[in-house]
Amino acid sequence: MEAASQKTFYKKVLVVDDNPTDRFIAKKMIEKCSFAQETILCESAQQALEYLRALEDEPDALPNFIFLDISMPGMDGYEFLEQYATFPEVIKAKCIILMLTTSLHPDDIERAQSNPLVIRFINKPISRDKLEMISNDFPAEN
Amino acid sequence: MQMKQKDENLDQSAHIAEFLSAIKTKSDRLANYFIFTFFAFGLFLATFYDTWQIAVGVGGLLLVAYFSAKMVLADSDLYQYVLSAVLGIFMAQFIYQMHGLFEMHFTAFLSSAILITYQKWKLQIPLLIIVIVHHALFAYMQYSGVGGIYFTQLDHMSLQTFIFHIVLVAAIFSVCGLWAYQFKKYSEMHIDLIFKKKEIENMELKRANYELDHFVYSASHDLRAPLNSMLGLIEIAKDETEEDHTLEYLEALKGNAERLDTFICDILDYSRNLRTDVSNDSISYKELLNDIEQNLKFMGDNSRSVDFITAIRGDSPVFSDKSRLNNILNNLISNAIRYQDTEKKNPFVKIEIDILEDETHIVISDNGIGIPEESQPKIYDMFYRASNKAVGSGLGLYIAKEALNKLGGQIKVTSKVGEGTAFYIQIPNRQIIKI
Repeated sequence: MEAASQKTFYKKVLVVDDNPTDRFIAKKMIEKCSFAQETILCESAQQALEYLRALEDEPDALPNFIFLDISMPGMDGYEFLEQYATFPEVIKAKCIILMLTTSLHPDDIERAQSNPLVIRFINKPISRDKLEMISNDFPAEN
Repeated sequence: MQMKQKDENLDQSAHIAEFLSAIKTKSDRLANYFIFTFFAFGLFLATFYDTWQIAVGVGGLLLVAYFSAKMVLADSDLYQYVLSAVLGIFMAQFIYQMHGLFEMHFTAFLSSAILITYQKWKLQIPLLIIVIVHHALFAYMQYSGVGGIYFTQLDHMSLQTFIFHIVLVAAIFSVCGLWAYQFKKYSEMHIDLIFKKKEIENMELKRANYELDHFVYSASHDLRAPLNSMLGLIEIAKDETEEDHTLEYLEALKGNAERLDTFICDILDYSRNLRTDVSNDSISYKELLNDIEQNLKFMGDNSRSVDFITAIRGDSPVFSDKSRLNNILNNLISNAIRYQDTEKKNPFVKIEIDILEDETHIVISDNGIGIPEESQPKIYDMFYRASNKAVGSGLGLYIAKEALNKLGGQIKVTSKVGEGTAFYIQIPNRQIIKI
């Protein structure tokens, strides 16, 4: 615990998930592992898009990671990606998108992996090991 | 989809070709009977006016003509036209043998009817030509005084009678030709109808299949989503308590939830293997094993990690069904991890892949707990579990074997309790099979 709290890896993580329990788990795990200083929770893709768009002029406030759920009512993860693709480079360069989902559908995995914006496909639930793996693979800049 | 359509069309034309060849074989057999009967009839007629030379000579020549044409022109239908002509000449032979007995003309009608069996109206043409030429020539020759023609017993035949004769013959031949044509059209229509019906049924089946597929995926997702939320919460709860009992309960809860999750995934795999077509993907075993290793990292109790030893030999291009292959390897490797021997210091799973040109050999061995000899024949049975300590669904090896069957592969096992297990798999290269 001590060791973990000493090194907080990232500034900000954005979690996009319609399920309140999953949002809670993500926030809690991120806090426990000191994965990020701040966790922003969005309950819909629209809300997440609005949040990101509002930060266009202050790129430093953009999240390092976006944990994106695929199946959400209304706008789903893929539709979010379509909209996100039209965003300015400033935003896209800063954020790393990880698809976080329970889907086993090969089409889903294929679709997520073939999308250049999606860096990785991760199965729920989010755990200590998975967060550690992410932080190993994407060392924080500062 | 377009490919499928093409396949179906090909299938249909193949079916029609097969049907036509069946008609041909059957008709050829009938033709053999008739042509020998005609020859024998000629011999019988020879007894009346002692025309043995004609019966054997002309009749024999006709037999030779037909059968040699059939042998030489086996690939084409031309011999059938030869048959038509041969039957016409037989008629001329019979008329001569019976010294112009009028009733012998009826053999032409018989021949015309025989030819219907081939379901080709054009076969009437040679017969008709021979009848016309024969009648015109021989009638002309007899009435102009040439001796020994024996075309008719009538003293005189007017042009009017001759025309009636020929027109009637032509009418009968045309009717026979029409029947032949209609038979063929009807058969084709029938086949067409059957195929249309099959196509509709196929489409309905595909739709039902798609809907079921969709349902299974949605249902498994909807079952797994809350289950995974529960697993996440258990993880958090475990983190926040020091209470031994609570930790124990949470651990048990986690084990059960994971078991349920595995079970849902296995059912999904089972259903997917059963209903999806085998695809033909380019396979990179290196990538496949990497993905599996990544996925299995977080499997079971993470207190001990199992060493992955991989060796891939051979560089022939491999084509197989990626999803099924992944499933097979995943099941076998996860078993090796699941049934690791806690007594041993360094548990490992070793995956050796030998890629040959037309098939791939895979050996997956471990130093796990092993499978008792009496259980070995039953490990591929549905819901069979060799160990009661096991947390599996009892579907893993069953699914792996079923998937392997679909790929045309084979699996063998050797195992010794306390020493370890080795699975030997052989999978044919699909690209080679296709050619």
